[in-house]
Amino acid sequence: MNKAKNVVFSYSFLLPSSILTVVLGIYPIVWAMRYMFFDYKGYGEERFIGLDNFARIWTDHEYWDSVLNTFIYAGGKLALSLPLALLLAVILNRGLRGRGVIRALLFMPTIISTAVMAVVFFAIFNSYNGILNQFLMKYNLIGSPVDWLGVDHAMLSVILVAVWGALGNYMLLFLAGLQNIPQDVYESSSLDGAGRWQQFRYITIPMLGPVMQMIVMLAIINALKGYESIMVMTDGGPIGKTNVMFLYVFKLFFPTASGSAATQVQEMGYGSAVAFVTALIVGAITIVYFYGSRRMSRND
Amino acid sequence: MRYGWRWITWAFLLVVLFLTLFPIVITLLGSLKTNAELTAGATLLPLSWQFGNYKEAWSTAGFGTYSFNSLFVAAMATAGTLIVASMAAYVVNRMSFFGKKIYIGIQAFTMFVSIGAVVLRPQFELMIDLKLHNTLWGVILILISAHASAFFILLSFMSGIPRELDEAARIDGCSPASVYARIVLPLLAPGLGVAGLFAFRGAWNEYLLPFVFTLSKPELQTLTVGLANLKYGVSAAAQTHYMMAGACLSIVPILVVYVFANKSFMQMTAGSLKG
Repeated sequence: MNKAKNVVFSYSFLLPSSILTVVLGIYPIVWAMRYMFFDYKGYGEERFIGLDNFARIWTDHEYWDSVLNTFIYAGGKLALSLPLALLLAVILNRGLRGRGVIRALLFMPTIISTAVMAVVFFAIFNSYNGILNQFLMKYNLIGSPVDWLGVDHAMLSVILVAVWGALGNYMLLFLAGLQNIPQDVYESSSLDGAGRWQQFRYITIPMLGPVMQMIVMLAIINALKGYESIMVMTDGGPIGKTNVMFLYVFKLFFPTASGSAATQVQEMGYGSAVAFVTALIVGAITIVYFYGSRRMSRND
Repeated sequence: MRYGWRWITWAFLLVVLFLTLFPIVITLLGSLKTNAELTAGATLLPLSWQFGNYKEAWSTAGFGTYSFNSLFVAAMATAGTLIVASMAAYVVNRMSFFGKKIYIGIQAFTMFVSIGAVVLRPQFELMIDLKLHNTLWGVILILISAHASAFFILLSFMSGIPRELDEAARIDGCSPASVYARIVLPLLAPGLGVAGLFAFRGAWNEYLLPFVFTLSKPELQTLTVGLANLKYGVSAAAQTHYMMAGACLSIVPILVVYVFANKSFMQMTAGSLKG
């Protein structure tokens, strides 16, 4: 009857959401896609330079180093957190006493601010006066302070912090997947004499396939995108050892933001191009993974 | 044999639990130590409990202001997110109109595509145009604009509310707007609670956005920003006890929320897989 009225009403209710999404979500992306063809330092004139920014990326060693660092960081984070999370989920999926409390405690780190914990981890890993070194030296596990945030160990430290923050999340996601596997499959297999390892290998893993594919994809995207805790803990240092792609992008836009002295000028045009290429890299890896892992989503 | 496995399982769980909780416990206990004890003591429990750390951090190190700013930003962003997202979820679930699929597609797009810190720059310029760059409202508006996940959470809760209820109200002469306000919103309360928890956690923990927006305005900084700035300060080594107290001011409120609502947090995380 008053269909037109309903449509007008619908649009008016969608208006706040749409305006905010378009103006603050979509427009900035369009903005970056325009400026990636410009030479613009954030002030003064903006000059159209075609694809020059992309040619510059090609020879920008600092950027490709940061890409490599991202792969090391993401690889380390995934290799440690995913198997550990799966193991924890399998253990907690059994009728274990106190599993509800254990699950809630393990999930706790995901509730707390990444930046705040990065400050705390800085105080823990700090070579001079750091809490970890104090304890290790007190119990004579090390003779002299280890430079956890130095050239040799900084990457390991930021990976461990990332694993700390992500483990509970992936454990919970695996647990949700495990709970979808019907219990009678396990029961009938143990009647047939299957051991726990065999059950894990031939029931849990295949039946978890589709869920696992999604969890791993989520984990890959998160690991490639994350830079907040690195920024607070090491600021990409020392000598760029922990500089990851999106941190590099951040510094092109806000060179004076962090406490360390600015080593470069603001590069808004070039930064947009780098951000675009970085988003493409993340997208490409996601797509390659998705097609490469199709076998996982088949329930056979 | 079985007994041995149980031992190994529990030992493994305890080690993981220890590693998970150690940084949090050391922060809570560290906030009550003197700076000297923190930086050289290698103690677990404080030698003497320094509750004065909080008083000093609150007034001298500015954490009173930071806490207020954090609370303001998180509360406003949560309220705004819930209003905007629930209005959208209501019409998307209940009405039929052209462009619905496009709207949903755009919301999903903003959730998954990220070009990093680049967006902060045009967002900042927009806020200068709106004369909001010297207030926290700029930060709040940008946080509200990222309401896609709240929208999808509320959308799934919407489909659980029987249509018969609002259809009956419409027949009785209720306008769509008052159906939303009087019938849908009250019934949506559990969904609003869950989406609100997530929005609040996100805003309370947000770092990069308020950091960039308040670079030259310490009086507007939030807890996360003020805390990270302590690390960069010249006297950082002398302020580890402030760092720990400040970290607690950020951690403890959210942990208290978590104690009461951990089921909602975990349900929603697990639910995101199926969605």
